[in-house]
Amino acid sequence: MAAGDKEILKGVNLTIPDNEVHSLFGPNGSGKSVLISAIMGYPEYEVTSGEILFKGKNINKLSIDERVRLGLGISEQRPPTIKGVKLRRLIEILAPEKMREKTLEKELQQKFDMEKFLDRDINDGLSGGEIKKSELFLLLMKKPDFLILDEPDSGVDPEHLKNIGEMINEILQNKDSGKNGLVVTHSAAILDYIHTDKAHVMLDGKIHCSGNPVVMMEQIRKNGYKYCITCQNRNGRDCI
Amino acid sequence: MKQLSDNEMKNMIQFGAKKVDFSEYGGVSDNGGSFNSFAGLSLDKNEKGSLKSVGFNFSGNPEPGKFLMYGADIYHSAPCIPGVEILPLREALLFYPEIKEKYYFRAVDKDQDEFTRLASEKERNGYFIRVRKDIKVEVPLHTAMFMRHEMGTMCLHNIVVLEDGASLHLVTGCASECHLTGGLHVAVTENFIGRGARLTSTMIHDWGPQFVVRPRTATIVGDEGVYVSNYYSVKPAGDIQMNPFTRLEGKNSSAKYMTVIASFENTYSNIGGTVLMSGENSSAELISRAVNYGGTVVQTGLLIGAAKDARAHVDCSGLMLTDSGIIEAVPGLRAMHPDAKMSHEAAIGRINKGEVNYLQSKGLEEMQAVALIIRGFLDIGIDSEGLDTELEKTISRMAELSGHDPS
Ligand SMILES: Nc1ncnc2c1ncn2[C@@H]1O[C@H](COP(=O)(O)OP(=O)(O)OP(=O)(O)O)[C@@H](O)[C@H]1O
Ligand SMILES: [Mg+2]
Repeated sequence: MAAGDKEILKGVNLTIPDNEVHSLFGPNGSGKSVLISAIMGYPEYEVTSGEILFKGKNINKLSIDERVRLGLGISEQRPPTIKGVKLRRLIEILAPEKMREKTLEKELQQKFDMEKFLDRDINDGLSGGEIKKSELFLLLMKKPDFLILDEPDSGVDPEHLKNIGEMINEILQNKDSGKNGLVVTHSAAILDYIHTDKAHVMLDGKIHCSGNPVVMMEQIRKNGYKYCITCQNRNGRDCI
Repeated sequence: MKQLSDNEMKNMIQFGAKKVDFSEYGGVSDNGGSFNSFAGLSLDKNEKGSLKSVGFNFSGNPEPGKFLMYGADIYHSAPCIPGVEILPLREALLFYPEIKEKYYFRAVDKDQDEFTRLASEKERNGYFIRVRKDIKVEVPLHTAMFMRHEMGTMCLHNIVVLEDGASLHLVTGCASECHLTGGLHVAVTENFIGRGARLTSTMIHDWGPQFVVRPRTATIVGDEGVYVSNYYSVKPAGDIQMNPFTRLEGKNSSAKYMTVIASFENTYSNIGGTVLMSGENSSAELISRAVNYGGTVVQTGLLIGAAKDARAHVDCSGLMLTDSGIIEAVPGLRAMHPDAKMSHEAAIGRINKGEVNYLQSKGLEEMQAVALIIRGFLDIGIDSEGLDTELEKTISRMAELSGHDPS
């Protein structure tokens, strides 16, 4: 995985089985967001070798929106601002049938207190926490089969965290598929609200080790990532 | 290195509107008829469609009246609001001798250029609109100018008078019969905005590929008066040059120009605006947005601060949507008073790929994403309240052009 000439991911092996939600930990700059961008198909990152499989299909060559149509969905860490485009407009495009069922949409807006953002430009001047909410709200319109969340909890106060947790659980409540996803987080705060089955630690562009999310986060909290660096259970094997 | 063609090099040197040979165009047709029903005009379905796309509606008889110049013929329905008049300028000149004295070529200089001179010599008609003191017209008044002869000439003269405290939203659509390729359109428009009056003028253009269009507009604004000028160019003429001139003579008066244009290959659009702020504490704002699919666009604006506490801002932005084409932004400020506060910004670039990808990651197809971003770029808060949904559709059409073959 490279951006231009720069190799960023150095061979990532990650499998998320059906019906599981995993979390991904790792220090700043270790490559978590880049991994997610590669999975989504952002063209600035080139997959130099290997395959990305989703629903048994190699998706390496699919465009971003084709991947979304296949069932991927993402909440970004730092989404761009789009001037002049109201959030309401995007929601209308994404949820055309639901718009007809006005009630459902209204209910969602009230439940998650989104009305005040609808007539603002997408992400324009939104606070860190508000951006997370807006991202998740858009995912609610198209409950994806596989949910990717890049730090949905960073910059969110404890009270809103509950709200964010509810939104995530609502998105995961997908009728056809089970709960599937990958959650990038630095604090395990969000893990109090959503259940993840397994965690992975990424170090310098590689999945270093994997294990029980709660146990691993405790270790990281206590000893920092330097613990992971010295830990011998590398190459993706289970930690502890 | 980008290789420039001979033509492009030539353009570099002779950058500007084309020289017009008046003899290439047919004469101005004689005075036509004046009708108050559409039945009198032989409008076909296509022509109606073209007019609808520039905001002109055929149903109903709206309170402020309606005015259409169809070639040399005129349709107009009288307003049913007391104190609002709309009539062909020829008739108005006969009725009201004061027009000649107070308004006729009082804002626009007859000799300012060859086109204005041509118009003054050849003008046949146009509209005269007057809103009397303190009358506020809530519903937009629609007018339209329609050219229907191949390589014909249309010379118009319009006069709009808003007396003190009056307000009006005037929508003027200009279009040509869709099969026509060329013609010459010169329109002199003079607006007079009284103390505390407010004129919003929305102009929508939809032309054939080889039309030469030279609007000549000037506006005089009195104390506390407000002038808002919106200009949409959906399909640009082959060659259009305009630089509407506003004189903010009154204290606390203000002007706002908002310009939205789409440009295509082999077209030249030079859309400017000049505002002279000679009234104390007057303010002017000029916002211009261009999306370029391969033509040449010059966005100019000159705001002149010539009075105490005059404030001005110019903002010209352009999106280059193809690899060919030119956008030149010339935001101009001229201070003639030490207490004038003026600023400008200009940005030209291609569409932000990151934004497109982001919208794709939400499930939009690439073209949908591009159209939405362009739509947002063009949305400069033009108040379309009370306007036909046609106008809304028009703007969407401009944004969606990117996905289609613009020809
Ligand atoms: N387009 C790019 N060109 C060059 N380097 C890049 C590019 N994108 C990312 N990087 C680099 O790749 C590394 C991984 O970045 P990434 O955003 O994935 O980190 P992260 O693990 O998500 O960190 P954080 O926890 O701070 O969000 C960083 O050093 C970053 O600067
Ligand atoms: Mg990151």
